[in-house]
Amino acid sequence: MAPRETNPNFMNGVPELLILRLLEDGEMYGYEIVQAIRDRTDAVIAVGEGVVYPVLHALEHAGALKSRRKTVAGRSRIYYTVTKAGTRRLGDLAAQWTALTGAIQKTLAGSGAGGRYGEAVS
Amino acid sequence: MAKRFRELRERLLNAGVAPRHVRRYLTELHEHLADLTAEEMRAGRSSAEAEPIALERLGRMEDLARTMIARRELRSWTARAPWAVLGAGPVLAVVCGWGLALLILWTGWTWFLQGTPNPFGARLHGFSILYFGVGRMLYYGAPLAAGWGMVLLAGRQRVRTLWPVMAGGALVALMGATGAVDARPPTVPGRAGDVGIRFYPLPAQMGDAVAHALVLLALVVLPWLVWRWMALRGELERE
Repeated sequence: MAPRETNPNFMNGVPELLILRLLEDGEMYGYEIVQAIRDRTDAVIAVGEGVVYPVLHALEHAGALKSRRKTVAGRSRIYYTVTKAGTRRLGDLAAQWTALTGAIQKTLAGSGAGGRYGEAVS
Repeated sequence: MAKRFRELRERLLNAGVAPRHVRRYLTELHEHLADLTAEEMRAGRSSAEAEPIALERLGRMEDLARTMIARRELRSWTARAPWAVLGAGPVLAVVCGWGLALLILWTGWTWFLQGTPNPFGARLHGFSILYFGVGRMLYYGAPLAAGWGMVLLAGRQRVRTLWPVMAGGALVALMGATGAVDARPPTVPGRAGDVGIRFYPLPAQMGDAVAHALVLLALVVLPWLVWRWMALRGELERE
């Protein structure tokens, strides 16, 4: 029997997924990324603002992002963009998350509570 | 504010995060904090009210440090493999420096001193003085430059353990003290001979070699010891 991948932590990969998705639309710097995450998720997902940078550095180190420094109105900004490898990684992460959320929703809908949880999450 | 970031920088470097990531992280946090403060002020808060809110939104220093330190891939090679960077690194640097010095010696011998049995002691003129001078500088300067480079890397990464720095310093000192340029006369008349480095001092030169090694070791390690002493004094004063 082939080994199955496990989901060690439900929130694992969420910041990476969101960041890659946002940067797919265009380059952004850290502050813009955090604001965009807050806006697009209706503040459901709120990340500690400063902790977005280790994720960005790690993604760049992995070749999923590239950065460039730009001085805008006397301020030093580091803009990030997605690379081809980053786009591939986004595809993989998105597929994993779609499968995972689908499975959770299916479980909640069929939990024997008359579809109560299924309605709540759909 | 600056003190807060200074402490974060020291903590990250001590934990082995690569200096370039630390530098960029602090720049980004600093700019992010300025953006948050400006945002709070646009919302009608005074500067005194906006700054603590902005700091809270940025995250606790503990979390900012922990999330960066948790990324093992952002650690520097000096932290991951100190024996390689601080031990083998300087040796490689000396080998490269001496390789270049030998290349200069051999090409200089071929171009400027054709037919002479030995490149040492020959009368030099014009450009050849400069050319051989660069080679000589590389030969004498390589151990010291490699040692100081190693100390700089150790200092940048806040390496506190003594043995990698002492081992790296001892290796370059030993190489610098025992390595001597060897030139063999040409086997074909009119051509340049062979050049190389001989590493074993003659018994008669042993005393000089030991003294030379100790001087080199002191010159290499002294800046690091001074830095460690100053850092330790700073820590004690803060406590």
